[in-house]
Amino acid sequence: MRAIDRHAWNNGWRNWHPAEKLLPAFGLLLLTLVQPPLTTGPLVLASLVLAMVGGAGVPLRAVLGMLLAPLLFLLAGIPFLAVSMDFSNGLAFQFSAEGWRLALSTAARSLAAIGCLAFLALTTPLTDWAPLLRRIGVPAGVVELILLIYRLIFIFVERTLTGQRAQQARLGYSRFDRSLKSLGLLAGNVFQRGLAQARRLEIGLAARAYDGELRVLEPERALSWPRLALAMGGVGLIGLAGGMLARGSP
Amino acid sequence: MHIAEGFLPPLHALAWTGIALPFVVISARRINRLMRQQPQIKLLLAAAAAFAFALSALKLPSVTGSCSHATGTGLGAMLFGPSIMAVLGAIVLTFQALLLGHGGLTTLGANVFSMAVVGPWIAYGLFRAARGVNLPLAGSVFLAAMLGDLATYMMSAGQLALAFPDPASGITGSFLKFLGVFGPTQLPLAVIEGLLTVVIVNFLREYSGEELQSLKFLPETLAVEARS
Repeated sequence: MRAIDRHAWNNGWRNWHPAEKLLPAFGLLLLTLVQPPLTTGPLVLASLVLAMVGGAGVPLRAVLGMLLAPLLFLLAGIPFLAVSMDFSNGLAFQFSAEGWRLALSTAARSLAAIGCLAFLALTTPLTDWAPLLRRIGVPAGVVELILLIYRLIFIFVERTLTGQRAQQARLGYSRFDRSLKSLGLLAGNVFQRGLAQARRLEIGLAARAYDGELRVLEPERALSWPRLALAMGGVGLIGLAGGMLARGSP
Repeated sequence: MHIAEGFLPPLHALAWTGIALPFVVISARRINRLMRQQPQIKLLLAAAAAFAFALSALKLPSVTGSCSHATGTGLGAMLFGPSIMAVLGAIVLTFQALLLGHGGLTTLGANVFSMAVVGPWIAYGLFRAARGVNLPLAGSVFLAAMLGDLATYMMSAGQLALAFPDPASGITGSFLKFLGVFGPTQLPLAVIEGLLTVVIVNFLREYSGEELQSLKFLPETLAVEARS
């Protein structure tokens, strides 16, 4: 998680206007969903990996690491789309060509969509989403809640992992029942200290005349129309190519 | 159980988003009202959501050897009430998608519905019912957390079954298939989560009475237990 966030803050496209990254990514996500996935999916995934590694300079390892967790889910679920189970006369399993096609196209769609997600996560830190969220009508209070949570998440996760390491060093996870007890104590502690921290924040903010809104400066970034047009043109091209390939191979 | 990004067909993804949306909107209105009355609640909610996220960073001791983590669905429902959980869950799930790659944006609706709506409501309902018939607190918490977890998992399996009905045996067959695939990890996980939640609640009751008191603006949750 820290690696993903680090790349989001330090990649080569960090200082581009967020719309230049979000719009093409969402465009590709839409393409993945509506186009025949078997041809469009690989194109989308390949172009996104190329953009991340070649363009934004995110190491390939980070990209693959991001794809790993959903891949495990796919590996568990996909084969069972191909198998058909019949219990009308006894239990019988069989593979069908149609099942395989469904499994393959689901895998292609899912992998391409995960590519879009990885692109968003690895090139755009969550704080850059805030102005856009506000523009599409999310209430200011909720956007602020999101930014606060983003800040607190890293503090809490670090505290949790540090606590767990300390418990491990004291043999807190040497047996199953001990593990449960250690985890419970850890979670309880993190909760307690989290609420205490929220209260301290609240007092500190109240002392600074907090009235329900944190005002921060947003960095000014000029939207580069040529870049956006180029990216959207690429998205259109991928969509066209995917559609044509699909028609070529029935 | 997070359904991976892009796994659901577009129509299903859209439909589940539509089903989950009203719950989230109603929950957001409620939170907005609470925040207007007491601005400091914003910090409390932020801490709660960050806590829920941190819980998912904890690896649970696992029986089958697979890597698995706590969901905190039941605990959240018992601490904050299910109507708050819809927004908290939606935010946490979005963060999990964008920071960890768990779940996704197109499947957000389906995941919110199973993990932030169905799970919390079942856990909360069971908790109230069990306390209503005077079951001891530990037993009620265990039942609520475990069955809330199971309900979430069955809902996810149901969502997958609806999207991918088996050609021979239809939705029922497909439902059984998905239950079978993910059951071996999810069943022990639910029991472990139930036990873990009991340990956490015991800890909180013993040492965090004051913090629970700060939640007392929420009706009918564990804060009531701390007061009694």
